[in-house]
Amino acid sequence: MNETEFAYRIRQALNEATEQLEYRIVFRLERARTAALARVPRENEAPAWAPAALAAAGGRSISDQSPRGIWLQRLGLLVPLAALLIGFVAIYEWQHARRINELADLDFAVLLDEAPIDAYADKGFGALLRNEQ
Amino acid sequence: MATREELSAFLAGVERRAFKQASFAVRDDDAAMDIVQEAMFKLAENYGASRPAAELPLLFTRILQNATHDHFRRLKVRSTWITLFSALTPANDEDADPLETLEALTGTEKAESALDKASRNQVVAIIEEEVARLPRRQREAFLLRYWEDLDVAETATSMGCSEGSVKTHCSRATHALAKALRARGITP
Repeated sequence: MNETEFAYRIRQALNEATEQLEYRIVFRLERARTAALARVPRENEAPAWAPAALAAAGGRSISDQSPRGIWLQRLGLLVPLAALLIGFVAIYEWQHARRINELADLDFAVLLDEAPIDAYADKGFGALLRNEQ
Repeated sequence: MATREELSAFLAGVERRAFKQASFAVRDDDAAMDIVQEAMFKLAENYGASRPAAELPLLFTRILQNATHDHFRRLKVRSTWITLFSALTPANDEDADPLETLEALTGTEKAESALDKASRNQVVAIIEEEVARLPRRQREAFLLRYWEDLDVAETATSMGCSEGSVKTHCSRATHALAKALRARGITP
């Protein structure tokens, strides 16, 4: 019998021995395992804010520590921030254009009106317009 | 990176063998349990979330070995203190052996009780006993190579020695085991 064959027979005996461990030992091992799992750092889980699409990008986990994974994580934070900023600018521009159009319409209406421009500065004329409305 | 499920499955698969290995080394079930638990905690805390599942076996083997060595280191420090105290205590018994306290650590009571526990399967028990009797490095090499299924290079890395030393340790362990078992009437 060669060395490897002998060693594997010993291995079988040792495996048998592990199956015969007392329940007390097996129970304590299970408890130790559960306690150990509770100590795994939380970084293992994907952050709640991370877009799910990023996790699927390239089939890589979000907690990937490779340079590409780190860049994907940074991108995951930057993309929503950039979208938010662009949204704010767009809303401001739209409101500004709307205000300009309103003022232009008003100016246009005043200029086209037959009443002289000084009439609009008169308080009585303002009261008359309100009463007519 | 290893998921929680992968880590759990790995630990479940390895915990009994780890306990036996520690038990062979320290010959005390409670101490062996403490060593395995310490190794599990260290693996989970330091590598559970940062290493792929494929790396866990080698890492755990290394951590378990370090935990076992730490146990012996602590034992040695404690033994030094016990010896010191016994030296300070006036000796009433002229025949008292100053090494009695050290002997107690590897005393026969625990070996006997371990043998009683394992008497369900006499042959397995004898094999276990002979494995435990192997010199530490030989036993480590033999168990890592043939029980943990590490290859020669991985075993060498884990033990911090050369591949040639691993082969020598394994060969000596196998021959010593075969000889010891033959002497006890067992031919595996």
